[in-house]
Amino acid sequence: MTTEREITCIVCPLGCKIFVRSDGTAVETLKGNKCNKGVDYARNEVFDPRRLLTTSLLVKHGEWPLVSVKSSQPVPKEKIFSLLKELRKTTIEAPVKCGQILIKNAAYIGIDILATKTVKKSGKTIAVSPKKSR
Amino acid sequence: MKHFQVAIIGGGVIGSALAWNLSKYRIDAVVFEAGTDVTSGTSKANSGVIHSGINSPPRSHKARFCVEGNTMFSTLTNELGVPLKQIGKFVIAKNDDEIKELERLRNIGLQNGVPGLEIVDGSRVKKKEQNVSCVAALWVPTAGIVLPYQLTIALAEHAAENGIKFLLETTVNSLKEQHDNRLLIGTNRGIFQADVVVNAAGLNCREIFSFLDKPDFQVYPCRGEYLVLDKNYGSLVTSMVYPVPVKELGVLGVHITPTIEGNILLGPSAEFIDDPEDKRTTKEKMKTLLKEAKDIIPALPENGVINAYSGVRCKLAPPESGGWMDFRIEESQQNPHLIHLLGIESPGLTAAPAIAKEVTTMISQHIKLEQKRNYKPKKVRRTRFSELSTEQQSILIKKDERWGRIICRCEQVTEAEVIEALSNPLGARTLSAVKYRCRAGMGRCQGGFCTQHITRIMIEQFHMDVTKLKMHSPKSYLFTGNTRMVTNDK
Amino acid sequence: MINERFDVVVIGGGPAGLAAAVSAKQHGAESVLVLDRNSWLGGILPQCIHDGFGVEETGTSMTGPEYAEIYIQEGKQQEIRFMTETMVLRLEKNLEMIAVNKKDIFNIKAGTIVLATGCREKTRWHALIPGTRPSGIYTAGVAQALINLYNIMPGKNIVILGSGDVGLIMARRLTLEGANVLAVAELLPYASGLPRNIVQCLDDYDIPLFLNHTITCIGGKERVEQVTIQQVDDQWMPIPGTEKQISCDTLLLSLGLIPENELAKGVGIEIDGRTGGPVVNQRFETTRPGVFACGNSLQVYDTVDMLAIDAQRAGGHAAISVVQTQDTTIRKAKPHAVNVIAGVSVRSVVPQQVNEGGIVRFTLRVQRPSSVAVLRVLAGSRELLRKKLPWVNPVNLISVDVLIPDDVIMSGKNIEVIISDH
Repeated sequence: MTTEREITCIVCPLGCKIFVRSDGTAVETLKGNKCNKGVDYARNEVFDPRRLLTTSLLVKHGEWPLVSVKSSQPVPKEKIFSLLKELRKTTIEAPVKCGQILIKNAAYIGIDILATKTVKKSGKTIAVSPKKSR
Repeated sequence: MKHFQVAIIGGGVIGSALAWNLSKYRIDAVVFEAGTDVTSGTSKANSGVIHSGINSPPRSHKARFCVEGNTMFSTLTNELGVPLKQIGKFVIAKNDDEIKELERLRNIGLQNGVPGLEIVDGSRVKKKEQNVSCVAALWVPTAGIVLPYQLTIALAEHAAENGIKFLLETTVNSLKEQHDNRLLIGTNRGIFQADVVVNAAGLNCREIFSFLDKPDFQVYPCRGEYLVLDKNYGSLVTSMVYPVPVKELGVLGVHITPTIEGNILLGPSAEFIDDPEDKRTTKEKMKTLLKEAKDIIPALPENGVINAYSGVRCKLAPPESGGWMDFRIEESQQNPHLIHLLGIESPGLTAAPAIAKEVTTMISQHIKLEQKRNYKPKKVRRTRFSELSTEQQSILIKKDERWGRIICRCEQVTEAEVIEALSNPLGARTLSAVKYRCRAGMGRCQGGFCTQHITRIMIEQFHMDVTKLKMHSPKSYLFTGNTRMVTNDK
Repeated sequence: MINERFDVVVIGGGPAGLAAAVSAKQHGAESVLVLDRNSWLGGILPQCIHDGFGVEETGTSMTGPEYAEIYIQEGKQQEIRFMTETMVLRLEKNLEMIAVNKKDIFNIKAGTIVLATGCREKTRWHALIPGTRPSGIYTAGVAQALINLYNIMPGKNIVILGSGDVGLIMARRLTLEGANVLAVAELLPYASGLPRNIVQCLDDYDIPLFLNHTITCIGGKERVEQVTIQQVDDQWMPIPGTEKQISCDTLLLSLGLIPENELAKGVGIEIDGRTGGPVVNQRFETTRPGVFACGNSLQVYDTVDMLAIDAQRAGGHAAISVVQTQDTTIRKAKPHAVNVIAGVSVRSVVPQQVNEGGIVRFTLRVQRPSSVAVLRVLAGSRELLRKKLPWVNPVNLISVDVLIPDDVIMSGKNIEVIISDH
């Protein structure tokens, strides 16, 4: 089945509008890109759209309650929310170093989660835990 | 059931002034306040002007209490440790008809015993106010300004420190009579018994009135919108500048009012509304305020507005009749132990200490009032870091490092001041409670910088629940919760 | 009171301050101090956990905190002194800085000062949005800090006003954290954020974007309960009859940034009404000799990369100025400055003054979008530069290098930057 799409490339701030026609398994036409990165991006967008995931994980005993993280590579779009669900259950123990691999093969999709911030250990917790109701 | 000798319904400036006055006596008294803090209603949303008395008809209660209150204010603010500035007022006229109005106002003032009134010509005004053009003006030297929320809070906290109880987030929903004129007060926090009850409920005065009395009046809420200008424009005027009063509505019209802190207020407007709690600001009025203010001060900037608010006047007269009615300060027809304060609008702030004195006298008819021997007269004024010398600042920081952490960068308010504000004797713990006590959040960024820091202090140091943090009113929740839940591993 | 002295003092430890400080060291300043009033360095960067930073500078796309880390490590290596949780209360007339932190009050003297004080967000009152004043109204930056730094969720059902990058990024962030972003309203007929952000933040999550719309009323007694979204005409006036109410509990405002220059204003430094920042010359020096300015407090930049490049130059000049002043044999009589005017179709230009011949990099913003634009730099009738641009848009800062001959400086004639259609 032939599909035609206009895709806005997100690789760099230029945001070229790329026209792609595919027959469902291969690309027939691809035009509008100003560089080669756009070709790969547009192709992937049609067959295997992925996004870099940036979010945060809970930290215990750190000077901050959260550490910002990113996926080691773009995550398949349809897996993002299930990955987030797993990450929401995760707590990391401080200290954390920027670049440290916090979770390997997160949610079994073969992508690691890396810290993007350094969080030192703290004497006190920046207490943001909700009071337990009786 | 808890019993009090005096119960005051309403923690606005009137209720707080009465509480403060009563706290000098050996008396068991309580203030019921529906909001999360005192000064929740009209008391914080006005111009902060201590009026001279030129605007009230001679021999009216408004005139009497305004002039009397005006003379009491200097001593009062001294005792409380809050600033009062007698900056004076120019009522300006742009033509001959308006000059006649000035003469009429001066006459009223003379009849009311207002001192120092003088009609001056436009060039005299220009000498003091370079940015104002007019033909002539009435100079009113006894008009002054305070921060009305600061005053109300000071009155209430002073009273609390001297034994008066304040129950916040407490709404009165019934009044019943008991034997020998005692009253049963039903609230959302239980039932209380009192020997004397004072209805100082402001816009809710009719509701409280109708519990026992058949209402012989209506409340006509009249909303006034204001704009607040950035302190950078604070020098546009040095005294208050008012146009000649608009006669039809019985209200004062759009004024230019400096504040104690160096901002300028434009307003209020005057619009009769249906719902007394409708404190919206409207595009129409905001534009009108800017336009009318610019007519008076052509040098007014286009984009100097940092905040807008509105307050609702508790009027007892409808627009058709001219919108003016006198204060009603009276005992209930049903029960002499119930005192009603109705229709307390402008000059209510000015009149507050005088009304408090009068109501205290009324209370003394029913309860013997004995002066306290251990009365703590001098309240220590909250220290403002930004007003101290560098030497004083350095000393404070070395004593307590929290004086060195700036939380509000627009107004240069420190962590120590925020903590002191949150530790107030009334137990008010909202963002507004902090704002009105130490100014954090009142600057040009309007909380953009400090909100996160004040929130952190509330959670970390006051152990407050993130889902229960409020901005101002009882259900004004700030947050829905944490993004990540912390689980205890015990 | 503690007295200190440094060759170069940088006020502000965000991306501009850090870049300026590192550059100052590299250009010979012996002692460099960076002051920041937060307890962390990096300014806004630690809360910008999304990627897209550093592409032009480093070739890789990084998250905000990673980008900040690079400069912080570089600064530590260069032995730059950092004072965090320290705020400059004022500049005295003689340019001594009075600063405060939990230790004491400081009187800090400097050879030169670099102002990198950033900006604040526009509030609801900049747009005079009428309605009630409930809780639940947040500027995008504050919401971002709450979610990313403090683990606090501001609301559940969100409407966003403003399609700039911050608003778009927050649309995605809120969605990933389980909120419902119901709509993004944009006054202009085009989104003001990058196309990639429209894709990644709105399209990906089916968040509707309402162009030519604004919020004309906020409702809710104590917490936001609904907002009124309304279409506007080409004069930006609301069109009667197009009001629609959206039930929500949070309104996020992404209305733009205002450069913060209270310290500069306090010592009478001239501010350009168009940029909101100080008037500077090609060396980023303000009208007060010895005080330099860079970063978002000079003008609002689009990308941190462009901001950092200019900040590096400012820091470099600040250092050179100190080094030069110390060597009293070099005393150059400076010619008076020539003014640079933002002319036809140009909203703002930096620098606003040039006092030396040579290649000057101008950064400018146009008044309106256009697909046919010729950038011209003129000195009187003489054309110094003519450059055809493929398209221009006010949301993109344009940077161009122009050779300014010495005789133009000597002539005292204004330099004018214009956009024409041929």
